[in-house]
Amino acid sequence: MDLKDFIAPFAVWKRAFEKPFTVRKPIDERPGAPRYRGFHMNDADACVGCGTCEAICMNKAIDMVPVAGRDPEDGDSGLRPRVDYGRCCWCALCVDICPSGSLSMSNEYVWIDKDPDVFRYVPGVESKPWDGSPLGYRRADGYRLLDEDRVPMPETGPAEAVASFLELVKGYSRAQAEKEADRCVSCGLCIASCPAHMDIPGYIKAVRDGDMEEGLRLLYDTNPFPEACGRVCTHLCEDACSIGSAGDPVAIRWLKRYIADQVELSDYAKALPRAAAPTGRKVAIVGAGPGGLSAAYYLAMLGYGVTVFEKDEAAGGMLRFGIPEYRLPYPALDKDIGYIESLGVGISRGVSIGKDIPLAKLRKDYDAVYLSTGLPLAYRLEVPGDGHPRVLDGVAVLAAATRGEELGLGGRVAVIGGGNVAMDAARTALRHGARVDILYRRREEDMPADAEEIREAKAEGARLVEKAIPLEVRDAEGAPAGKAAVFVWNEAAMVQKEAGKRPVPEPIPGAVREERYDSIIAAIGQGPDLSYVAEADGVPTRRFKPVVDADGMASSGQAGGAAVFAGGDFVNDRKDAISAIADGHRAALGIDRLLGGKGA
Amino acid sequence: MNELATRLAGRYGARDWHDQRKDLASVAVDVIRIRDVLAWLRDEEGYRHLSFATAIDNIERNVFTLTYALRNHEARQGLLIHADVDRDDPTVDSIHLLWGQAWTYQREMKEWFGIDFPGSPRVDEEFVLEGWDGPPMMRRDFDSLAYSDATYAERPGRVTHDPAAHMRDRLFPEAAR
Repeated sequence: MDLKDFIAPFAVWKRAFEKPFTVRKPIDERPGAPRYRGFHMNDADACVGCGTCEAICMNKAIDMVPVAGRDPEDGDSGLRPRVDYGRCCWCALCVDICPSGSLSMSNEYVWIDKDPDVFRYVPGVESKPWDGSPLGYRRADGYRLLDEDRVPMPETGPAEAVASFLELVKGYSRAQAEKEADRCVSCGLCIASCPAHMDIPGYIKAVRDGDMEEGLRLLYDTNPFPEACGRVCTHLCEDACSIGSAGDPVAIRWLKRYIADQVELSDYAKALPRAAAPTGRKVAIVGAGPGGLSAAYYLAMLGYGVTVFEKDEAAGGMLRFGIPEYRLPYPALDKDIGYIESLGVGISRGVSIGKDIPLAKLRKDYDAVYLSTGLPLAYRLEVPGDGHPRVLDGVAVLAAATRGEELGLGGRVAVIGGGNVAMDAARTALRHGARVDILYRRREEDMPADAEEIREAKAEGARLVEKAIPLEVRDAEGAPAGKAAVFVWNEAAMVQKEAGKRPVPEPIPGAVREERYDSIIAAIGQGPDLSYVAEADGVPTRRFKPVVDADGMASSGQAGGAAVFAGGDFVNDRKDAISAIADGHRAALGIDRLLGGKGA
Repeated sequence: MNELATRLAGRYGARDWHDQRKDLASVAVDVIRIRDVLAWLRDEEGYRHLSFATAIDNIERNVFTLTYALRNHEARQGLLIHADVDRDDPTVDSIHLLWGQAWTYQREMKEWFGIDFPGSPRVDEEFVLEGWDGPPMMRRDFDSLAYSDATYAERPGRVTHDPAAHMRDRLFPEAAR
């Protein structure tokens, strides 16, 4: 054996006490990669509780749970996702799909605890050390599993639109409707916001499935005016849509219209449920607007004999006489009404309750009465000269247009007001060749009209004069008396008088403007006409509104006749068609309960 | 590179040459040629380095697409060799005699996709899934929820709420009548 072999094992020891060449670097931190998929984070304020994360989770790791301090409200279920890390596989599909974009993942992946139950928590509600971490997994820019963009609706351009009364919105094709329906995640947040609580995810699914009869059946469960509402509904549902939290809301209204448009009236009876066996009881309804006819439909379905009394020569109420045909063509409205009449509902047109027949007689001849007479009386401008013959009432102008009467508005028209009636009146005047100014006392963003109506009115050529407070109407000089008028207004500044309330227009001293018009259309709101209701009818009112209970009942009718129910624009605060329809449905169920029916 | 594409096509029927980047291309061959192609690329074309091998479950076409990533360090070129194998009979020639480390990738593919490489050392041993008794979990038809439900107990305390029903119960309970 070589001496070297003998020494070698000991030779390594000679460096044992020297400083090592290597550097000691203990592993005490283990940061995840910047885009690592670690524990979840949720912006609980941005989250709308739609549960799409739960629906997509392939391991059922997510539960939607109520959390303290968050009650359900329009567009927010109040629920928040709770993640079970015994199930989660960290695939991040929940982050990728999240409609609001509130859900994300931190890059933290180390969490040690002896209690296995802690690995289940509500991100963003139960605070965790990684909350607010800038690192971790976010949906990449531009990467969306959901389509943010609505399928564009084919519409007539403003230049062409203003030349006629043809319907502007052309409606979706089958391919367009199915593509749009595909954007819906069926969360159902919209249902609570719809005054009629329509089964919106249900009928959108019917569009996806191509099952129009099922779709129509779901529509009629809660709304017998799908053609009208599919065109002119105020669509509160779309404001609540979870897809709208970070994109265009699903075009719920257009999809409703699509379903109704696909089914011929002659096929309705095949798709829709049959009426119950006749109960032998009779209900009278005053007013054949959407509210009255909705009550009539559901009462007829429950087996009641229904007669609707309508003062005008045609049924439909404000849907017919208040909404121009370019938004709601009469054949579409006639289809909705035609189906209700086909169930045996009688409509007595041209019969005014109070004038032709007293309400007391209806209460004697029928088992219940439903009042849905809306708001027929236009408010006056309440300025000197508002009785000038060229000051017209907006609703009356629209009704005259419906009747095909000569409007004789002249070449220069002012519309006073900022609601939908004002927009409709302005656009009707434009179609009659007038140059139109819309004068409103507040700003454009304060206008109660739908944003799209304002936009379209302007696109069609109406000039918007904001912050204009009416002062006076004078007869125009140089014209035959009563043939033209001068409208005088005061320019205003918006003043924040009370914190938290909306700003108030204050006249600017000296800033008085005037303009000569051939017609001045006042469209500043309407009030009810309760002159046909006598004290003996026992209908309590408050601030000119009938007071009703949760069933829509105003008078239980012990004194001298049948019970009186009421609903629609002159009862509720929303004053739109869908609320009137919901009121009519509610009253039908209430009447059925009162008269001892089985209930619906 | 197109010369190599031509040679590969002539010798081995390679197709679908695609330049992914300036220094990276991919090409597809029949799976029965895979060992011949790789050996030739290694010995004749300078692709001496096997960076990795993996598979993709193209369930729509009922194939696994094997992918071998080679590198020619002198030419600074990478080449991905794709080969489809029938999903119903996923058996592929082993290349552990070409590259010593290849058996590890093959053992991984056996465990995750169920692709067999007969003769590859330790190919049937567990790779990372200790005690796994389910089907290969990287197959796209593996149902992780069904597997979890069958394998693990449900933790108590799980409860969920449907958003629409929750809102109805809280905001308009009369509709449920």
